[in-house]
Amino acid sequence: MSRSRGACFRERIEMDPVKLTIDGQEVATVKGKTVIQAAADAGIAIPHYCYHPKLAIAGNCRMCLVEIEKMPRLQIACNTPAIEGMVVKSQSPKVLEARRAVMEFLLINHPLDCPICDQAGECRLQDYYMEHDLKTSRFEERKEHDRKREIFGPYVVFDGERCIKCTRCVRFLQEVTQTEELSVVNRGDHSTIALFPDRILDNPLSVNVVDICPVGALTDRDFRFKVRAWYLKDTPSICPGCSTGCNITIGSYQNRIARFKPRINEEVNSHWICDEGRYCFHPLTEVERLTTPLIRQEGGLVPTDWETALQAALSGLGVAAPVAGVLSGRNTNEEAFLFARLMRKIFSGASVEVFYQERELTEVEKILKSPDRAPNFRGAREMGVSSDGGFASLLQQLVEGKFHGAYIVGEDLLPLPNGKKIRSALEKLSFLVVQDTHLTSTARLAHVVLPATNFAEKEGTYTNRKGRVQKLNAALVPPAGTLQDWEIFARLQGEAGEKISYLTPEQIFQAISHEIPRYRGLSYLRIGDPGVQLSDET
Amino acid sequence: MPVLRADEIGQVRMDYESMQAAGTLLGSGGVIVMDDSTCMVKAAWNIARFFAHESCGQCTPCREGCHWMEKIFWRIENGQGRNGDLDLVLNISGNITGNTICPFGDAAAWPAAAFIKKYREEFEAHVAQQRCVLS
Repeated sequence: MSRSRGACFRERIEMDPVKLTIDGQEVATVKGKTVIQAAADAGIAIPHYCYHPKLAIAGNCRMCLVEIEKMPRLQIACNTPAIEGMVVKSQSPKVLEARRAVMEFLLINHPLDCPICDQAGECRLQDYYMEHDLKTSRFEERKEHDRKREIFGPYVVFDGERCIKCTRCVRFLQEVTQTEELSVVNRGDHSTIALFPDRILDNPLSVNVVDICPVGALTDRDFRFKVRAWYLKDTPSICPGCSTGCNITIGSYQNRIARFKPRINEEVNSHWICDEGRYCFHPLTEVERLTTPLIRQEGGLVPTDWETALQAALSGLGVAAPVAGVLSGRNTNEEAFLFARLMRKIFSGASVEVFYQERELTEVEKILKSPDRAPNFRGAREMGVSSDGGFASLLQQLVEGKFHGAYIVGEDLLPLPNGKKIRSALEKLSFLVVQDTHLTSTARLAHVVLPATNFAEKEGTYTNRKGRVQKLNAALVPPAGTLQDWEIFARLQGEAGEKISYLTPEQIFQAISHEIPRYRGLSYLRIGDPGVQLSDET
Repeated sequence: MPVLRADEIGQVRMDYESMQAAGTLLGSGGVIVMDDSTCMVKAAWNIARFFAHESCGQCTPCREGCHWMEKIFWRIENGQGRNGDLDLVLNISGNITGNTICPFGDAAAWPAAAFIKKYREEFEAHVAQQRCVLS
């Protein structure tokens, strides 16, 4: 991603070592770090609201006040540089009392919304109250009121009463997206967050303000009231939106995705995700799933069993040379590896390519997004799913009638700009096999339709545009009747007489690490949650 | 700035050191003089209202605490004072002092505490009798 402004200037310019003491523990850090950062690096958590590692310091919440020897008053840890020999106490009676005081001040006008607030369970007010307060409120006055449920944008709704004026949202929009939709207006305890006149919060990264809001003041309209955060199963994975490969956590409940949250990876997406990626699970998973293979009989598609379908696919494509193979950019490296070998071995002269379409991006989009919708186009090509001229050329050849058979996996080609020409080309094929999660318009033209899985049901790896290999984990259980794409490719090869015995995607990846030079030495263990950057030498 | 009682003014000179020694501060040099026809609770409320109104709102203690103190003073002056209000204001004042971004919080906290400390009997009468005792 391109560099964001603001707090980036706080990155270490010098590497001079600094030693200080925090809570009796000697902490080694470098010049330029603040006390809160040095503490965090040493595993000491100092509570805070307004501080954020990727945004400029605000210092307004006063929650991170700590005692520093030789300094008369308590100091905020977020804006105090760590100095050699400094002695910091974050658990002294004065500090604990100050924290309790700040909590009380934050809560006196805070609405009793917990039962209806989406932030419950992941709310810093709740968490810090339990950890640093637990005292009964002494406020017995009328609370100040503010605008509730004010629509800020297509995906973000604001509650002024819940807001603690930390200004993280304002700073994010000033420094990261530089779109400046929000600011603080009014004064004193009537201070509130507001949109500038005639603006709405609709930039392509807008919903990140919901992630950084420590309370339920800014919430996600898409996720609103869906499910309590503590019921969610959290699965680390990779966004299937584009080839940036933003790291995500899939929040799922009862085998359905409730939301994506970004997962921190400084090498890829930092703390952010774009709105389109955040919500891309909707079109990709909320479709009527195919649960049996289909075969064309008397002009219509009828359900059949796997064996019949696979044999029909093999025999049909076997006499339809030359065959084109199109793999989705959302298929994993493991699937691409098997697909390339399957097509080359079984259908000699087959041309295979991974779906790839480029589009224009706006300046704000360019902060995160890649100009494609193929998260694993690079990985697929490196696995062998590639032919001269690329996808555009293969598509052109298809339209020109150069192929007699085609095996299209995971993509609907008819919505493309030259969809009409593609349709007539597909209709003229002597055999078409389509593998997908639902009956797309392309699938309706097929002779055999094979029901497969989506990204959230897969374990495997994607290689992003910059060559970083990252792991997807399955958050959902696929519907009965479907097979994983890799299982289908393996079975096809088995039906063709070349039995291969992979039991898991990990075993396929082991084969990849042996056969593809750039992937030598890699394993799921090494990839872990952060992923591994491929080096540039082959 | 902390208020000085008539019996405290004595020989206090209007300079920084003398005022500080007397337990208050010279500030901007402006002086407000009140005689015994002024209700100290109402004066405290008036000053608290000023600070609550002028608080910029950036930092938590001043933004929330100043108006909280004003609300409590208002109730005491208007016959709705409760036992514990005075110690509560003293405690709020202590929680603001030293914990803010700028000295405005201190400037709001000091007079609130000083009025109660220097004229406690007047405040206690307001609470006990549930009315302004001067009117």
